[in-house]
Amino acid sequence: MSEAGTMADDGAAIGGGRAHSRARRLSIEGLNKWFGSNHVVKDLSISVEPSEFLVLLGPSGCGKTTALRIIAGLEQADSGQVLLGDTDVTNELPKYRDIAMVFQSYALYPHKTVAENIGFPLKVRGLKPDERAEAVRDAAAQVHMEELLERYPRQLSGGQRQRVALARAIVRRPSAFLMDEPLSNLDAKLRGYMRAELKHMQHELGVTTVYVTHDQVEAMTLAHRVAIMDEGALQQIGTPREVYDNPANLFVAGFMGSPPMNFIRGSIENGRFESGGGVGVPLEGEGVGGGTAAVMGFRPEDAEVADPGTGLFDTTVYAAELTGDVTLVTVALGGDTSLAIKMPKEYDVDFDRNVAVRFPLERGFLFDAASGERLSARFAVPPGAA
Amino acid sequence: MAEIPAPTPAPLPARARARGLRRWFEPARIGQMSRGGSIVVYGLLVLWSAFVLFPFYWLAITSLKLPVDVFDGPSFLPWVDFTPNLHAWADLLDFSAKSPLAETLTPYRNSVIIAFCSTALCVLIGAMAAYALARIEYKPRLGNILVFVVLMVVTAVAVGVYGVDLWIAAAVGGALFVLLARSVGRYFKRSVGNADILFWMISQRILPPVVAVVPIYMMFQKVGMLDTHLAIILTYTVVNLPIVVWLMHDFFASIPIDLEESAQLDGASRLMTFFEIVVPLARAGLAATTLLVLILSWNEYLVALFLSTTQAQTLPILVAGMNGGEKGILWWTMAVVIIIMIIPVIAMALLLQRFISKGILLGAVKG
Amino acid sequence: MATRDGTIGGRRPGEDPAAAVVTTAALRSGRLAEWFDRQARTLFIMPAVVMILIFSIFPLIATFILSLSRVRLRGGGYTMRYVGARNYEKQIFGSEQWHFLGTFEEVSVLGWVVTAAGAGLLAWWLVKYLRGRSGRVSVVGTIGRLITASVLFGLTFMFAATLFSGTRLGTLGVTLFYVVVGCGIQFLIGLGLAVLCAQPIRGRTFFRVVFFLPMMVTPIGIGFTFRMMADTGKGPFAPIWQWIGLGDFAWAVNPWTARAFIIVGDSWQWIPFIFVVLLAALENVPRDLVEAGHVDGAGGWQIFREITWPQIVPVAATVMLIRVIEGFKLVDLPNMMTGGGPGIATESMTLHSFFAWRALDPAQSAAISYLLLFVTVVLCVSYFMLVVRKRAAVHG
Ligand SMILES: Nc1ncnc2c1ncn2[C@@H]1O[C@H](COP(=O)(O)OP(=O)(O)O)[C@@H](O)[C@H]1O
Ligand SMILES: [Mg+2]
Repeated sequence: MSEAGTMADDGAAIGGGRAHSRARRLSIEGLNKWFGSNHVVKDLSISVEPSEFLVLLGPSGCGKTTALRIIAGLEQADSGQVLLGDTDVTNELPKYRDIAMVFQSYALYPHKTVAENIGFPLKVRGLKPDERAEAVRDAAAQVHMEELLERYPRQLSGGQRQRVALARAIVRRPSAFLMDEPLSNLDAKLRGYMRAELKHMQHELGVTTVYVTHDQVEAMTLAHRVAIMDEGALQQIGTPREVYDNPANLFVAGFMGSPPMNFIRGSIENGRFESGGGVGVPLEGEGVGGGTAAVMGFRPEDAEVADPGTGLFDTTVYAAELTGDVTLVTVALGGDTSLAIKMPKEYDVDFDRNVAVRFPLERGFLFDAASGERLSARFAVPPGAA
Repeated sequence: MAEIPAPTPAPLPARARARGLRRWFEPARIGQMSRGGSIVVYGLLVLWSAFVLFPFYWLAITSLKLPVDVFDGPSFLPWVDFTPNLHAWADLLDFSAKSPLAETLTPYRNSVIIAFCSTALCVLIGAMAAYALARIEYKPRLGNILVFVVLMVVTAVAVGVYGVDLWIAAAVGGALFVLLARSVGRYFKRSVGNADILFWMISQRILPPVVAVVPIYMMFQKVGMLDTHLAIILTYTVVNLPIVVWLMHDFFASIPIDLEESAQLDGASRLMTFFEIVVPLARAGLAATTLLVLILSWNEYLVALFLSTTQAQTLPILVAGMNGGEKGILWWTMAVVIIIMIIPVIAMALLLQRFISKGILLGAVKG
Repeated sequence: MATRDGTIGGRRPGEDPAAAVVTTAALRSGRLAEWFDRQARTLFIMPAVVMILIFSIFPLIATFILSLSRVRLRGGGYTMRYVGARNYEKQIFGSEQWHFLGTFEEVSVLGWVVTAAGAGLLAWWLVKYLRGRSGRVSVVGTIGRLITASVLFGLTFMFAATLFSGTRLGTLGVTLFYVVVGCGIQFLIGLGLAVLCAQPIRGRTFFRVVFFLPMMVTPIGIGFTFRMMADTGKGPFAPIWQWIGLGDFAWAVNPWTARAFIIVGDSWQWIPFIFVVLLAALENVPRDLVEAGHVDGAGGWQIFREITWPQIVPVAATVMLIRVIEGFKLVDLPNMMTGGGPGIATESMTLHSFFAWRALDPAQSAAISYLLLFVTVVLCVSYFMLVVRKRAAVHG
């Protein structure tokens, strides 16, 4: 099988990562996992292309770790398959799967030095000490840890431990990497730095990678493709841009972005989206009949605050915060709806002022309130508005 | 980031799958046992259970045997091999007769009194010391300690060799210490810290009881307390004190100090802080320690052997004393006494075994 | 009190000042409580210190003085006379040597070989330390190691001169046999059981409780029960004894079977302790380390050897220290099972000391107990410093 061919066939860009000679496709099909009566992973099917960096994104407790552990072989799925390349590894022990994993806690062996930690996967495979030493040095160089090989994990900082864990994963040149929130134990600054390093390294090595996180910024920046999970089920999979620009449902729309998408609850009546607070927008497309509860959504950065009467609806300013690069304006709409709008950082406004909110209607989204699914109906852009 | 050439991927040898016999010992997946493994594991576990339980079973059936059943060689199953008979148990409840078991009652009462009192005292004193060592800084002067030891040697020599009255010697020694402590303390400024005191207290456990028991015997003889409950209670308290200090120190040290500090800001005294804040928080540790000390005191043999003759005799001494004699060993009677001796501790162990393992571990892990 | 008022007032600016006054007044009321509070430093620790001084340190000194004396019991009282190290001399070189150290006859070739090997090993160990390759060399460390090495050499020679000449062991040798062989066996079995119970088995609670039970039983009871069971005529294994033709074999007559039997009883009681602690330690090993091992490709044995075992070593070292300390005190089992016999073959040092006391010779009894103390302290402190401490340092 030509791996290059596979990559080209796939719509998802692989980000130009070097195809690693051992990189293999990793796919899971119809995974299900129950813990007692708790259905933690629901019919999960994902295919990760060779050399692809796939991020599994979802809120805490949605089953990401469980899915990853099933791939690693640490947990047994109740149904479904794990395929590495063309081989079915569903019933293999972890040691026979050619997969390396970086744990959230790093799981460094406290009684082994950095060199011994990194060399452990080689040691258990029976490599001779001198062969091991060379591979360990190479892997350590990759993560800039050559100087600290004789230290013990407890003598390292958080970021350094993280690198050792990475080196231990790359030293054996596995077919795939699994990483479970590897950056979540680092402070914010280090996290940003390590993110770049991680991305570069994956690019350099070109190993198929599944990366689990609950942080959407991490997902957006690292991923070739993002798979978003909620309550054990896959919600959407696509490139970060696709997922951001074209969310498949309310959950994805609300999960991506910071601050997340604004939602206004309402209903579709006679071809118009109507909501309390004086919001009413005409619709076009299918299913604009009427009577269905719907949710309108738009992103904070797409909207702007304007003088009263000039926007879609009028409201009052609840708060305005300068976050540095933007001013975040929060406006209240009705009882419990508040909307966030990003304005240029020069923008200043008094609290409780009357303002209008407007956004380009083609950038608006419409969701079914009951199912959360994206509706095919769109807001009718008045001719001449563009 | 510096340009590092991607190392040429040297493919690792894939792990060879187990073959032949070893396949039997390879689990199908993580968290399960292999077929061969589970046979071995359960086999050994059952074997060891039998080794552990069989003595209990043998004790139980022996207590139900008539002398003739015992002497006819081994029989294993009541009603099948022999007819169970309650004669040994009946003797126990027959207080009127001068049966061998009627004498059991006093030692039993003694054992209960001694074990409970010494445990209570030991846990109280030990926990207070452990707490103090975990929270208050002590700096006794090395000079004072030297003076104290020297005076103690002199006192011991005076009492033992020259026959000076114990009370007089102790009083003179104490007075001398108070006088000398101030002046000597001025010259030897070096002091020891909490860790040293803690180590000193815990290290007392190394002391084989036989080293201390003869002078203790003589001391109690001097004050006429031989063969009393109090003598044994006090001795047991000291013997088990190191264990309490050791285990409880770790428990107390693991309690966040903020709670106590806020209690003290609220105006609570140290004593109040200890009994109202710290003790409730260390309940689990206290329970485990108490149980351990209780069992140790209940089963103790050597000290009781020295310090008791008749009045304060405890159960282990009674049992040991029944070993031998003119009529030979009364196996059935001994079995009954041992059973009633181990039933209370077994019951407690069954109820609280989680506690114990936790308590012991905490000490062992922190060392 | 002034500072305390200030603190309370200062820390809670929002509070009604009147309330603070009330609180302080309430605090002032208990004069006794206040005194107690001021003396708390002393009151907390003094009972323990005083008890230890009276019942542990004073007797320790007194026993030492006693061991340097000759004691004559007369009527109700006694007289003591200072005799120097005469009592110790008697035990180590004199008329009691056979009892304490064993019967020394001509040392066999094997004995000399063992002695030389022991001396060589100890010398090598000392030189290695003094070279300072493995760490700093200190005066205390050197002296400590010299003491350890001399005691170990003495013990090696003692065993070489008795065991390998086929003569009888003394109570010191017997005690060390119980400690080294007994505790070694108990550790191995305890560790094995803990590993078994840490497997994904059913009925773990059941096994755990059952295995724990013997720890509760009084050693006296164990001694009796095992004696009963070991009876080749009436015990439960009588049919087996008869079947292999040892129907009238008396295990209590042969020194080694008698010692072995005491170790069986001792193990029955103490394996639970080691088992419980090691099982808890095994369950405390972070799960992700083991899982990382699986993902890294290690098999079952490799995971135990490389990950689990190094994690529990500190606990194992400590639990063995406790076990060895208690092991030196063994007395109930030999007294109950064999009465120290045949001859002195199963007599532990504590029992030896007790027998001397019962023979109305408190001075000899004191000397023997001091010798026991010396051996215990040297071996336990060496073990602590050289094994437990070092392990703790590695694991930080
Ligand atoms: N070993 C387990 N036993 C029972 N429930 C578990 C176990 N592991 C995880 N869970 C449950 O499964 C759900 C998903 O957990 P996890 O996969 O760790 O989520 P995530 O990694 O996305 O935060 C959680 O509700 C968690 O409580
Ligand atoms: Mg997780």
